[in-house]
Amino acid sequence: MSLDSFRSSSAPNSKRTLSFSNSASSIRSNDNNSANNKRKKMKTTATNQKTLGVAWGSNSSSSSRKPPFSDFGSYMTEKNRKLHNQFNAEASTSSFSASTSGKPIFAGVSIFVDGFTVPSSQELRGYMLKYGGRFENYFSRHRVTHIICTNLPDSKVKNLRAFSAGLPVVKPTWILDSVASNRLLTWVPYQLEQLPNNQPKLSAFFSLRNSKMSEDTFTNALCQVEPDIEDSSARVGNSKDRYSSDVAKVVEPSWQITIEADDVVSENTDAIMMEEQLTSVGVKCDEEDPVGGSNDAAKDVMNFQGELKPNNEEPSTSVTSLCSNDQNVNEIASSSSTRPSKQCHSTLSDPNFVENYFKLKFGICNVQSSRLHFIGTWRNRYRKRFPIPSTGFDNEISNINASTVSGNAVVIHVDMDCFFVSVVIRNHPELLDKPVAVCHSNNSKGTAEISSANYPARSYGIRAGMFVRDAKALCPHLVIFPYNFEAYEEVADQFYSILHRCCNKVQAVSCDEAFLDVTHSKVEDPELLASSIRKEIYETTGCTASAGIAGNMLMARIATRTAKPDGQYHITPERVEDHLSQLPINALPGVGHVLQEKLKTQNVHTCGQLMMISKVSLQKDYGMKTGEMLWNYSRGIDNRLVGDFQECKSIGADVNWGVRFKDMKDCEKFLTSLCKEVSLRLQSCGMQGRTFSLKIKKKRKDADEPAKFMGCGDCENLSHSVTIPLATDNVEVLQRIVKQLFGNFYIDVKEIRGIGMHVSRLESSETSKQEKYNLKSWFTSGSASMEKQKHPIGHDKQNMDGTSVLESSALQGSSVQMDNNIQDNQASADRISTPPPLCHLDAEVIRNLPPEVFSELNEIYGGKLVDYIAKGEGISESSSSLRNSLLEQEAINKKEELLDVEPIPQKNPLTKIEAMQNEAEGGEAVPDSGSGPSFNVTRNSSFEKDDLLPSSLSQVDGSVLRELPEDLKAVIVQQLPAHRRQEICSNVALVPPNENLQVALGVKNSENPGSTHVLNESLWAGNPPKWVEKFKISSCLILKKLAEMYYKSGLTSTLSSVLYQIISEFHQLNLAHQISDDSVNITCELLKQYIKVKIGKDIEEIYICFRLLKRFAAKSHFFLQVYNGVFPYLQEAVDDNYGGSLLITR
Amino acid sequence: MERRENQTPQGQIARVLVEFLEVAIASVVFLKGVYPSGAFERRRYMNVVVQRACHPQLRYYIHATISGLLPFIQKGMVERVAVIFFNANDVPLEKFVFMLGVNLSYGSTVEEVDLQFSLRSFLSKLSISESLTKKLPPDSRWEITAYFRSLPEAGTSKEANLWIPSDTKQWQQPPLITPIKSMNCEPLCLQLYLEHPCLSESLL
Repeated sequence: MSLDSFRSSSAPNSKRTLSFSNSASSIRSNDNNSANNKRKKMKTTATNQKTLGVAWGSNSSSSSRKPPFSDFGSYMTEKNRKLHNQFNAEASTSSFSASTSGKPIFAGVSIFVDGFTVPSSQELRGYMLKYGGRFENYFSRHRVTHIICTNLPDSKVKNLRAFSAGLPVVKPTWILDSVASNRLLTWVPYQLEQLPNNQPKLSAFFSLRNSKMSEDTFTNALCQVEPDIEDSSARVGNSKDRYSSDVAKVVEPSWQITIEADDVVSENTDAIMMEEQLTSVGVKCDEEDPVGGSNDAAKDVMNFQGELKPNNEEPSTSVTSLCSNDQNVNEIASSSSTRPSKQCHSTLSDPNFVENYFKLKFGICNVQSSRLHFIGTWRNRYRKRFPIPSTGFDNEISNINASTVSGNAVVIHVDMDCFFVSVVIRNHPELLDKPVAVCHSNNSKGTAEISSANYPARSYGIRAGMFVRDAKALCPHLVIFPYNFEAYEEVADQFYSILHRCCNKVQAVSCDEAFLDVTHSKVEDPELLASSIRKEIYETTGCTASAGIAGNMLMARIATRTAKPDGQYHITPERVEDHLSQLPINALPGVGHVLQEKLKTQNVHTCGQLMMISKVSLQKDYGMKTGEMLWNYSRGIDNRLVGDFQECKSIGADVNWGVRFKDMKDCEKFLTSLCKEVSLRLQSCGMQGRTFSLKIKKKRKDADEPAKFMGCGDCENLSHSVTIPLATDNVEVLQRIVKQLFGNFYIDVKEIRGIGMHVSRLESSETSKQEKYNLKSWFTSGSASMEKQKHPIGHDKQNMDGTSVLESSALQGSSVQMDNNIQDNQASADRISTPPPLCHLDAEVIRNLPPEVFSELNEIYGGKLVDYIAKGEGISESSSSLRNSLLEQEAINKKEELLDVEPIPQKNPLTKIEAMQNEAEGGEAVPDSGSGPSFNVTRNSSFEKDDLLPSSLSQVDGSVLRELPEDLKAVIVQQLPAHRRQEICSNVALVPPNENLQVALGVKNSENPGSTHVLNESLWAGNPPKWVEKFKISSCLILKKLAEMYYKSGLTSTLSSVLYQIISEFHQLNLAHQISDDSVNITCELLKQYIKVKIGKDIEEIYICFRLLKRFAAKSHFFLQVYNGVFPYLQEAVDDNYGGSLLITR
Repeated sequence: MERRENQTPQGQIARVLVEFLEVAIASVVFLKGVYPSGAFERRRYMNVVVQRACHPQLRYYIHATISGLLPFIQKGMVERVAVIFFNANDVPLEKFVFMLGVNLSYGSTVEEVDLQFSLRSFLSKLSISESLTKKLPPDSRWEITAYFRSLPEAGTSKEANLWIPSDTKQWQQPPLITPIKSMNCEPLCLQLYLEHPCLSESLL
């Protein structure tokens, strides 16, 4: 809320930096005017549009200018032709220079890049150019051979064929890997894992490999974009003119658009889209006009155009011409200020207007003058001001580049010296060596806390966080200044402008502190760079800064400690250990009070001592993460990368000071405004949340009034949270939720000392879930907040206390960007409406279409559909007959088995089934509906016998299996042994799995004579269990069958699986009438022993067995006898173990 | 402290088990329909869809109870954890019993993946087990009861004091048992079964 008075003088700077990094080294010209044109905004934006238009004209071709195209189609044809020509021309030039061109590995490959990819489509295009491939800007089924994309929205995944027209959808790593291995690799493993036919597990594997690959590629591709800063950087920066900066600021939205347009162009080279963007810019300007209520719209467009022309004369690529446009606008902005005659009184040109507007409209918010608020909201503002461009170097950032970490990386940590003080006193040179502190109150008896003190004050022992009265006691002549947030913002922005100009990898830590990664900038001496940065900061802001230089962020920060105040220090890799050995542990980031105390008990005071402790014991004592951190940090190891932004996980607001409620009404009012604030913060981040937590600080019963006036004192922290299904940032919803949450506390409002509300499980507010995936990769690059915002354009008008001018304007800018993106998406969606090839149509589906749809489709395919369906009939018939034939196979199989007890080879039916399954798959026919999930599993496993099936039958849910049709069950069970090769091999001396059944029998038979005398032992001992052998040689058919089924059941040694097998052949067993008591007895014994083995651990197994037995008993006299014989024993065992009786239902 | 214990396989297992029980019990409560289905939300746990209680108090009850068991599970003192459903007269109607067996002497490390694989089957089985259970009369209530192998001595630890002897009414006859799922994955053996009152008793 403090932001509504935001001013800055460095906006144009930052923007320029941005456009530079995007647009390579196109900017040559420079002027030394500061952009202090405060009256020309309207014109500037207008010119901006114009310029872009001109740029397109000049860019499209050097050939003759054609009359306007008669229709869109012919325009596109022409455009495509030109793009091809362009591509060919570039390809031929690159192939002439032998050094750059490679082996034409991509000959015959023509790619179309869909959406955001890493690397960018431009880089892919570069590869295509270099290695003899083709690159299509527009999708065409006839020209494109591969579609490259990293992510597909859900809608496209669902409707893949419509989207891809049957072409392979491949990840960009395919190209990178192909280039790396210098030959065309098969694209199959690089298929997009989102596609449903790929297993997610595989994808994980691939992405792992890919990221590794792309790392390598990125090290090569790093810093291709080398901003051409040098000459232009000196340009603005030192302007302290408020007005000019404000001008620039309001112009900012349009600037951002130019930049965005720049991106889009470089990716798509799409004139149409450019135009759309331009119109949306126009709309935005119009929107802003009424805000001002000013009606003076005199624009001398022609004049500007004339000025622009010289710059656009030279034919150039779209990128460069756009950039020169940026340049031009700047020039115009600055030059026009020298001509007062051309001034126009537009709304936009009057910075105070908008500012006052907001002030009047929103009043002054009570949180406004809080330093915490300033810091808290600073980051959002920063991100908006310095978004990382989506193409170019964010790729480097988002990819963990191991070499940067370990190698000779150079990181500079820049930190302003006592920022809050020095900013305030920069205009009071007389105070420079006097003790000064910043605090919101100058009451010398007060309990206001000092937020920052300068070095002279620190020498008196004054520290941040001290009460003013204590500080005054230490140093009576201490000068206390109030905060000056405007100045802070201004200086912070200047500070970052300088940093961003000097380095393209800047990670902001706070408003006065940042890391720069200068590893890949072409700076010979980082110390020189650091001192030049510091000098520039001093000259621009009047405040001093310190810099630490080292190999990573940790050491750089430690170096800064040494460097302060107003100095710099370089810790070279050799000096790291020296430096660390005496460093107190609390100097390490992440080591706070608690950890320090704990370490002290171990007698660890310095990093040197910490180094003595092994990683394992550190991890044991302090936890995995903290332990590892300590171990690493004490050795100066820090793997964090500069630019690794952490996307915020929760957004909220806490008020812990001045919270005193008289009654419920007070409290409710407060909650309402808190909700408003949180909602605003959410909206300004473009986020919505699902989980809402309300934290309350409640005065402890025995706590006295806190020492700090209106402070929170000694409190209990209470919190409640709730998760709702749909993310929201709506104030009313928030208020309702908070009220409800508050109700959960049952608390006396008088005891509340602080209230905080936080929203987590954030979702970006305008993206649907599918897009969230797409954007995920963007988040890491930190440009997230830019991309995610979507606010209705007029939003800030009806809104809300204290969005700053900048915020609102930035919002508008981004909303326009968003619109562009949406248009972009739509455009690409339009492109893909070509029908899929016939062979990819699902005959089943087609046949079931309503007749009118069918005939329409048929028309599209020129009548071929009918033939296709006729053909398809055959295929799908075969597939539906699959099941029948499966049954038949089984039946035959069993008959044969019955005839001669020696089972016939299982191999044939299996392979036949497999073949048929393959056929069915190939024909894309729908598998018969009765199959169910487990059947699918089996089918898959016939393709590749990997670990899709559970490792043993015991892991298959018996009751599920039971419900399956017999034939399926048989297939599953038969699949199992083949699948568990290892087990079988160990059982049956290395027999090929397909033949294991019969050979196993053979082997066992031959062993029999030797092993018979051991059978007195437990029937279930051994593997296969003893009973199997015993039963096999039995004369009783049923026993024989049991033994046989044991092998068939997959050698899992569970009785239930054997019994399941029996079900399928039960009718045959029933034929055996002669039952000897012996065989009943031995079966009873078998079951009893089984119960004994299993009762303690696996009652489920016994339950299944006995349910089956009971079923059998109803039909078979043999099983009835067995069941009755064992049942009492069973219940006794269950009672012993579980204190109950087993309820056996059929 | 917790971390150190977790390094033993028993600690690790106990942690997984406690987490699992929390989910499983929520699923049981959902299954029995004690609360309207709107009181639960679909979640994924171990990659199966489970139901989680939305109501903070319900969630807290389950969570607090089960996490209170953690130290005892580690020591192998807990034999069974039962979710008992009562009718309005506090007569138990149905019990979902988790029978735990942790091998205390097991020394080598546990593959959590294997464990999860086995535990997952409980959750999926549980979700289709409604037919095994009996319909609850209105006004029924439920509670979580843990059966200890030996009573923890009061005063030995803070956790022990939290547990009070249960005054749950017992059935006169041994109950009827319907197993739902068993697993035995060294060093953890877990079985889930239903207990219903004996037919004669349920008529009373």
